Amino acid sequence: MLEVKQVSKVFDGRRGVHQLDFTMERGEIVGFLGPNGAGKTTTMRMITGYLHPTAGSITVDGISVHDQGRSVRSKIGYLPETPPLYPDMTVQSYLKFVANLRDVPAREVKLRISEMVSRLGLQGREKQLVRGLSKGYKQRLGLAGSIIHKPDLLVLDEPTSGLDPNQIMEIRDLIRELGENHTVLLSTHILPEVSALCNRMLIINQGQLVLDGSPQHFGSAMGDQFKVSIEVKATEQQLHNVLTPWEKVRVEVIQASAGQASTASADTVKMLLTGESSDDFREELFYILSGAGLPILEMKKENLSLEQIFLKLTTTETETESESELATQEPEADEVQLANLATDEEAHPDTTSDQEQSTKAGSALSDSHTGEDSK
Amino acid sequence: MRRMMAVCNKELQAYFLSPTSYFAFAVYVLMTSLLFYSSFVYYQPSIVDYRLVLGDTLSMLLFVVPLLTMRLVAEEFRQGTDELLLTSPARVTEIIFGKYLASLAILVALILCSLVYPFIMSFFGELDLTSVWLSALGLFFLGGSMMAIGLFASTLSQHQMVSAVAGFIILLVLWMLDSFAGNSGSALQQWLDPFALTNRFDSFTKGVLSGPDVLYYVTLSGVFLLLSIQIVERKRWR
Repeated sequence: MLEVKQVSKVFDGRRGVHQLDFTMERGEIVGFLGPNGAGKTTTMRMITGYLHPTAGSITVDGISVHDQGRSVRSKIGYLPETPPLYPDMTVQSYLKFVANLRDVPAREVKLRISEMVSRLGLQGREKQLVRGLSKGYKQRLGLAGSIIHKPDLLVLDEPTSGLDPNQIMEIRDLIRELGENHTVLLSTHILPEVSALCNRMLIINQGQLVLDGSPQHFGSAMGDQFKVSIEVKATEQQLHNVLTPWEKVRVEVIQASAGQASTASADTVKMLLTGESSDDFREELFYILSGAGLPILEMKKENLSLEQIFLKLTTTETETESESELATQEPEADEVQLANLATDEEAHPDTTSDQEQSTKAGSALSDSHTGEDSK
Repeated sequence: MRRMMAVCNKELQAYFLSPTSYFAFAVYVLMTSLLFYSSFVYYQPSIVDYRLVLGDTLSMLLFVVPLLTMRLVAEEFRQGTDELLLTSPARVTEIIFGKYLASLAILVALILCSLVYPFIMSFFGELDLTSVWLSALGLFFLGGSMMAIGLFASTLSQHQMVSAVAGFIILLVLWMLDSFAGNSGSALQQWLDPFALTNRFDSFTKGVLSGPDVLYYVTLSGVFLLLSIQIVERKRWR
């Protein structure tokens, strides 16, 4: 369907995209991820024919975007980051303009407009000026304009940016629905969006592709060691006695709280167990602890979240920097830092859309790695 | 063709909705009528001739045309709607011609406004109608090439004011080309003279429709439209 071959783009000596290579099959929803300035928008603009690549070729259904731009452009629907709307037009006249511009057959124009209006929930706003629409409706109108000609390939540049959570859900549902009939390439820096929508993701950093695969597959593939966090009703000493002889796993205590006599609560220990291989040891763990009479209050498999994969892949430089920095520090201080960060991570067990949180988790990840290494 | 008409329609809508075009029309009508008053009503010439007031109409075009064309392409760049146009199946040629066509429609409206003056004059004496109609046609050709120049200026920047000033300067230079080389019949002047914007217009007002004059204006428009197309197309190669 879409083939991007060795595509590079150079802007005034600055490198935008460097030798990008990927293909997309019909019916795929592909998430295009990367930090700001990674080259997502540039790549999308090259696919849609808004920019010409400095080198390399892009073909859609075997037709080159460069040589036969017009026939390719009629197959593509494109929604730029800011929807390309004319503030002085009404919703209806805008859609009519786009339909005519995009070669919708003249007798179908009216039908398509009403179809788009009802599909994107723009009813009752046909006569309203674009200027007066809210951000969410503008986004919908932009989307309507990009699918009015029923394109084979839909390219969406951050379709949910700047929307409120409800609108994000609506737009996502819509994209999922569109994905049934169209091939969709969407860029975003909201990671859960990718796992929610896409069956494949591409991560790009500094203009180069760093990862290509399905979001589900990454969680386990990137974490090369099996990790489990548990909370056990026991004292730290008891646990150590039981688990130290077990050589398969490495044990780190995250938090140990001593029981208070007044509230009659027992001692609990939270710890992170890292297996030497990627084998699942949870069952074994359960029998060991139950054999020792120590009840497990919580057990959770630690997957590398998308945020962590993303950060791991896109911040290699900073990671090595911090590694060398940490290596010079006292091991004791290192451990304290690790424990702090680990509790931080514990406080937010489910890493979600929050960007801030993801950075936190990411730094915890990179630090805990170095922590383990220096141990 | 349909895409071109779509762009043209959109631009016409924009003309009707934008305060700038009303302002430009108001300035044009106000100034030409003032000049008409001073040169016909106040001065009371002994003959009735449209040419007496035509010169003033012409000089007003110099100010009004950049105001009317500055928005055409610059605004697309500023709003980011060029991304819609350039990723649609439309050719850049269709987009530019659509916009040009809309500006020509506005020009016709301007010329119709200024036909009021010969109409008034006709009450005071016999007008040479051939000269009036040919003057109007000449205005269309001259204005048309000015619009093309303004459109070209509009592709140069994403700021309307910059476009307007650039358009005005290009127009002014072309307008005054014959007086740059001094008034003696120097070689430079003889060489520049045929390219001056208004020189060719005189034969229209005399009631002469000559091929070279028409060709001059059509070519001038064509050259600037081509340049505009090239500049917009170049955006893909940034």
